[in-house]
Amino acid sequence: MADAKMVNLTIEGRAVSAPEGTMILEAAKLAGVLVPHYCYHPGLPVAGVCRMCLVEVEKSHKLAPSCATAVAEGQVVHVHSEKAIEARKGVLEMLLINHPLDCPICDQAGECELQDYTYQEGRGEGRYRDPKRFNPVEDFGGDVMYVANRCILCTRCVRFMEDVAKEPVLAVIERGDRALIGKFEGEDLTHPWAGNVIDLCPVGALLSKDSLNKARAWELDRSASVCPGCSQGCNMIVETRDNQVMRLRPRPNDAVNQYFMCDHGRLDYRWMNRRDRVEQPMVMSGGSLAATDWDIALRAAATLLRGKRAHVLASPNLSNEALFLLATLVEKTGGRGTFRVNQGEEAPLAGVDDLALRADRAANVRGAEMAGFTRSDTPLSGLQAGDVLIVADEELAGVDASDVAHAGAVIVIGTTLPSWARHAAAVVLPIANCVEEEGTFTNLRGRVQRFMQAKAAPGLARPSFFAVGDLLAAMGEGKGYWTAAEAFAALAASHEEFAGMSYDTLALKGTMTAGATAGAR
Amino acid sequence: MSVDAADASYAPVFTGARKTELNELLTRYPTKMAALLPALWMVQEDRGWVSQEGIAEVAEVLDLTPAYVKGVVTFYTMYHQHPVATHFIQVCTTSPCNVCGAEDVVTALLKHTGCEELGVQSPDGKYQVIEVECLGACGFNTPLMVNERFIESVTVDSVPALLASLD
Amino acid sequence: MGFPHKPHERESLVLSKHFGEREAIGLDGWRARGGYTALQKALAMQPAEIVQLVKDSGLRGRGGAGFPTGVKWSFMKPGDGKPHYLVCNADESEPGTFKDREIMRWTPHALVEGCAIGAHAIGAEVAYVYIRGEYTEALEKMNAACKDAYAAGILGKNAMGTGKTVHVYVHKGAGAYICGEETAMMNSLEGKRGNPRIKPPFPAVSGVFGQPTTINNVETLAAVPHIINNGAAWYQAFKRADNPKSTGTKLYSVCGNIQRPGNYEVPMGFPFKDFLYDLCGGPLSGRQFKAIIPGGISVPIQTRDEAEATLMDYEGFVANGTMLGSGGVIVIDDAQNLVKQIARAARFFAHESCAQCTQCREGTAWTTKILERIVAGEGTHEDFDTLLEIAENMTGKTICVLSDSCATPVISGLTKFRADFEALIKKKKVHMVPAQVA
Repeated sequence: MADAKMVNLTIEGRAVSAPEGTMILEAAKLAGVLVPHYCYHPGLPVAGVCRMCLVEVEKSHKLAPSCATAVAEGQVVHVHSEKAIEARKGVLEMLLINHPLDCPICDQAGECELQDYTYQEGRGEGRYRDPKRFNPVEDFGGDVMYVANRCILCTRCVRFMEDVAKEPVLAVIERGDRALIGKFEGEDLTHPWAGNVIDLCPVGALLSKDSLNKARAWELDRSASVCPGCSQGCNMIVETRDNQVMRLRPRPNDAVNQYFMCDHGRLDYRWMNRRDRVEQPMVMSGGSLAATDWDIALRAAATLLRGKRAHVLASPNLSNEALFLLATLVEKTGGRGTFRVNQGEEAPLAGVDDLALRADRAANVRGAEMAGFTRSDTPLSGLQAGDVLIVADEELAGVDASDVAHAGAVIVIGTTLPSWARHAAAVVLPIANCVEEEGTFTNLRGRVQRFMQAKAAPGLARPSFFAVGDLLAAMGEGKGYWTAAEAFAALAASHEEFAGMSYDTLALKGTMTAGATAGAR
Repeated sequence: MSVDAADASYAPVFTGARKTELNELLTRYPTKMAALLPALWMVQEDRGWVSQEGIAEVAEVLDLTPAYVKGVVTFYTMYHQHPVATHFIQVCTTSPCNVCGAEDVVTALLKHTGCEELGVQSPDGKYQVIEVECLGACGFNTPLMVNERFIESVTVDSVPALLASLD
Repeated sequence: MGFPHKPHERESLVLSKHFGEREAIGLDGWRARGGYTALQKALAMQPAEIVQLVKDSGLRGRGGAGFPTGVKWSFMKPGDGKPHYLVCNADESEPGTFKDREIMRWTPHALVEGCAIGAHAIGAEVAYVYIRGEYTEALEKMNAACKDAYAAGILGKNAMGTGKTVHVYVHKGAGAYICGEETAMMNSLEGKRGNPRIKPPFPAVSGVFGQPTTINNVETLAAVPHIINNGAAWYQAFKRADNPKSTGTKLYSVCGNIQRPGNYEVPMGFPFKDFLYDLCGGPLSGRQFKAIIPGGISVPIQTRDEAEATLMDYEGFVANGTMLGSGGVIVIDDAQNLVKQIARAARFFAHESCAQCTQCREGTAWTTKILERIVAGEGTHEDFDTLLEIAENMTGKTICVLSDSCATPVISGLTKFRADFEALIKKKKVHMVPAQVA
């Protein structure tokens, strides 16, 4: 776009300069003016059907749909003129005549664009006096439920499935005021990215069965995060209520996931709320693990490590901060670092370049590799008798417990305590999971992205960087870090891939690591 | 979805001569999708209506999804989404015919066919009468269609003879 | 001619000259009447020459919009390396209109010839004739005409021995008024729902299959061979002296409460009063004309006075509060309940709305419900205001004009025939309000 011709126009009295071909609605955003709209979505082809985004363009006798009208030099656009507001008021009234007005029982209430714009510029009272249209609720399959009575036929869902997912399983059926969104019997919304239609729906017509009736939109606290479901690194929002993750939703990032997120990532959140967490540090005492405090546990771990090689088996879902500190520990002890990655089927979103649910079902595979960890399906091979095995956030599922017995001692740094560890672990250090701490992941293309804390960790569990930093300190290496930002700053100062980066420069959309140019995103 | 999976008893339309006809038709258009309306017509001509299986078959032969085809089928009122009576009678009652007494013709048709109401088949399954929008023969009121046959200038008095001529 | 009646002496028979002649339907009969001489001539001409000739003739689109045909053709840029398409709009579905049907069922070769000339003029090798599915007879005749024209070497890869490729394909619609809207027709032809498209891009830039396309009405294309054979000046002469903007003959379909319904062909500028009373025979005995909708149901309703003062051409109808539209004259007499007919028209539009635009999808149905309630004697005066406001919201705000078309008879009905509406309110039953509510 660098050499695109710029067009100058005025929107609501503000001078705007936008590249040629920009639609008025997008240009208005540049001017800080939101034109109310329903069918328009920046991630979908323009439909121009809701007629909500009508604006007045001087010297034009008809109101213009701003989503489908390109900017022109010298254009003067009025978004809030009486004529434009009257037109939109008319659209709102029409959208509501057959609407059940059931906001009190609608999941969308509080985040509904029909509600929002009606409050903003709709009529106070409807004039419709005739019977309303009724259609039954339909299960669309997958996670999607369709409440036809609330549907405004904006066709965002149809366009998503057709033009983005490239699997048109939804269609507008019938016509006139009988029209509704339909699918073919037996062909469900099971596409791995189908859940996006729920977010795209501006009203309460397409709902998530998973989060149905679970929370009101205004009760939710929201934190910016990165999906840990695979190595793609889709930006997401974690929504919590009462320290429980209720829902995950995509957060737009044009460089990674545009506006989308797959169903696997979206629905894989229950582990974030696990109740069987390790809540306090523990040391082995008399054949069983006993709770203790952090100082004692850290000292015990440091003692075990003294003069020993550490074999660190780390989860590729740990943050860069934790992984690089663990790498330091490996280096200091002359040990070895390994990790393994759960595998699943790759599922691309056909209409978006380089966006897929990746086969590597972990967020920080690239980060683990950059930290020097060796990827292996048999991560304990190479464990030598007498080594101290540090298992960091790995449940060791499928690993023969006798392999663990090889180790001189086992230190568990984790969120939960797997059954094998009840007898094998010498020290247990409880850590926060990735929605309970701050940190960064590096996605498969080398983009370093921050995630924020969304809920509190249980008991005495500490952020992973904090726990590992303190363990190193107990071993006489450094002084630990109070904040993730400090830990990252240290990482950036010592590793050239991260040179020049800081939490401030990463901001909410991330930065590519030095030298990482592979792939479009 | 495969047609066979939907209904083992469904015999495909696009075999033999119909397949040849469709292939010939495809040469007229730069896209396969463009043959959708004609293909649906063929299904209706052969089967009397467009069933779910018919939709699935058309989708398969034209590389479309059944949902897409359903969206198209339900847009066009001439495709029957349900089986219809032997004599499916569509009467124009739009304004130009309406001012000339089309509603009386409808009433007469209901009476003489034994159909209880619009859209409902007569008990013997022979007749079904519906009102349709403008048939484009406004100067020849009242026009109606019996299946694919276009009949002009029907009056209340000519209804019995018309019905007799159908058998 | 006034088919199904004998031609009236004041008609100018060009397109309708052979209506009713069975022999004219087939290829031999058509050739005997001078058929395909214009195509032979046109194929020897440069496309630009044909476009200029049609421009000079003053021919304007007969589908309703009245856009100059030659100018429309000139938008098609020859030699742009893209396939061009001609689409003939034979979806005639504007209530009150049935002229294209007569052209196709009596003189199908006239349309095949017009399509072939049009295709050549715009640099297209393919013309699609999109015929509404209900026109079974027209479809049969057009299919037969195309088949015969191919067999005779008129169409095909070596059209009339000139080495030029001209294909004319008939495409059958399936029941959707909106497919008469040109961009909806293109979608329908592509195998999609007949949803009108946002313009721009205009069809001449990106039309059917994304390629440059021209869409012309049946009557427009059928007139072209006559212009080729007789010249622009000849066609220009069919007009009134004081209005050079509307030229040629025009077919009008006449229906409703009138003595002789049918198709009539008169020159542009013909007095509407003479047309209604002399040619069509005036009102049924004992009745009077009450309202006249001269251009298909989408145009404003005229009062009898307005109609009788009208000169029949594009400008003449506008000067008298309405539009020429498709030339479908619907006559409603004083025995009719006009409000019921307006409600019936609204129901038509509600049935035919494609469901894309909010105002149209919801507005057409809402308008219908209110009007039907008024007709049932359950209306209120507030309903009039609501109707007019809905109509305002339905005008000029949607992708196509179906919504506007639904609003048009409501607005003209309520402004010109208010008393008819009032009369229905007066009949309203008085509901007793329970005392405790007050």
